[in-house]
Amino acid sequence: MKITVVRNVLEANDRIAQENRQLLNEKGVYVLNLMSSPGAGKTSLLEKTVSALADRFRLAVIEGDIQDTLDADRIAALGVPVVQINTQGACHLDANMTKEALGALDLELIDIIFIENVGNLVCPAEFVVGENIKVMILSTPEGADKPSKYPLMFKESAALIINKVDLLPYVDFDLEMAKKRALALNPELRIFEVSCKTGSGIDDWIRWLTLQVELFQRDAR
Amino acid sequence: MHELSLVESLLRMIEEYAAREKFRRVLRIRLSTGKFSGVVPTALRFAFDLQSQGTVAEGAQIQMEILPAALYCFGCGKEIEVEYFDAICPQCEGSMVILVRGTEELKLMELEVE
Ligand SMILES: Nc1nc2c(ncn2[C@@H]2O[C@H](COP(=O)(O)OP(=O)(O)OP(=O)(O)O)[C@@H](O)[C@H]2O)c(=O)[nH]1
Ligand SMILES: [Mg+2]
Ligand SMILES: [Zn+2]
Repeated sequence: MKITVVRNVLEANDRIAQENRQLLNEKGVYVLNLMSSPGAGKTSLLEKTVSALADRFRLAVIEGDIQDTLDADRIAALGVPVVQINTQGACHLDANMTKEALGALDLELIDIIFIENVGNLVCPAEFVVGENIKVMILSTPEGADKPSKYPLMFKESAALIINKVDLLPYVDFDLEMAKKRALALNPELRIFEVSCKTGSGIDDWIRWLTLQVELFQRDAR
Repeated sequence: MHELSLVESLLRMIEEYAAREKFRRVLRIRLSTGKFSGVVPTALRFAFDLQSQGTVAEGAQIQMEILPAALYCFGCGKEIEVEYFDAICPQCEGSMVILVRGTEELKLMELEVE
C-alpha cells in the first residue's frame, strides 16, 4: 500500500516555533537569531550591540554554545540576563530548546532577545525557533565563496554582517564578489560592513536594528 | 549533522502514520529536497539506518528526489539550471541573476507500507 504524505519533515519544529512566536508577540518581545561559522564574531557583535542598545531597550541573550559557558560569561559581564542552552552536542538550536530557554526568562521585562546560535553555516538555517529575523555574520578570513557554498542561510537572513573588515588588507577576500553573490541569493538582504575590533560600521547596524525593533513595537501596540 | 534531527522528525512522522493507518512495516520512503537545501543524502541514509532500528521503518529503502537548482537570468530572460551557484549566468556570463530554485526543504512525499 502507498500512502501519499507531502509534508515538511521539520513541520513539528515549525509548529513549536510558531507557538514561541505567538507567546513573544503577546509579550512584545523582538527576537534576533544570530548565526555564523565558528569564530566569525557572534559574541563580539553581541557585546557591541548590547552595549549600544542597553539604554534604550531591555535586553536578554540566549547562548547556544556547545562547549562551555565562556560566551555566556562575556555577555553576563555586560549586566544583561543570559540563558545558556545545552544543545547536547547538536549543531543547531531548535524551537523546543528555545522554548525551554524562553521559560527561564521574564518576558514581561524584556524588549529584545538575542540568540547566539551554534557556530555552523548549514544546520541553523533550517531550524526556525520563533525569531523575528535571522541575521548572519560572514567574516573576511572565511572567503567570498561562502554564499555559493551555503546558499540557504543567505537566503533566510534579513541582514548580513560582513565582519572583520579591518583584516581586508591582509586576507584574500573579494568584498564586491561576496556582496554580489549574497544579493543574488537574497535581493532583500541588508548588508553591513563592520569591524567589531575597530567599531567601524557598527553605528549603521545599530541604527537599522533599532528601526526594526521600533517598527515591531509600534505594530505590537 | 542535522541529519540526525531530520531523521528523528521523519521517524516520528512515520510512527504517527503507523498508528493511524495500522501498518506493520515500511518498505520504501520517498523524500524530496532541493539540491542546495544543505541535506546530505549519504549522511541522511546513514542516520536513518542507525536511528530506525527497532521501529516500523527499520530496513526501509530511502528514495531521495533531488530537486534541481536554477537561477533566473535577467539578461537571457529565462530560468537556467545550475550545479553550483556563483551568481553568474552559465549561458551569457551576465551577473544580473537570482537563485529561484534549489533550496526547497526536506519533504516526506510518500510511504510504501505493508
Ligand atoms: N580582527 C578582528 N577580530 C575580530 C573581529 N571580531 C571578532 N574578532 C575576533 O575573532 C575571534 C572570535 O570572535 P567571537 O566573537 O568569539 O566569535 P563567535 O562567532 O562568537 O565564536 P564561537 O561562539 O566560538 O562560534 C575573537 O578572537 C575575536 O576577538 C573583528 O572585527 N576584527
Ligand atoms: Mg560566540
Ligand atoms: Zn544569461
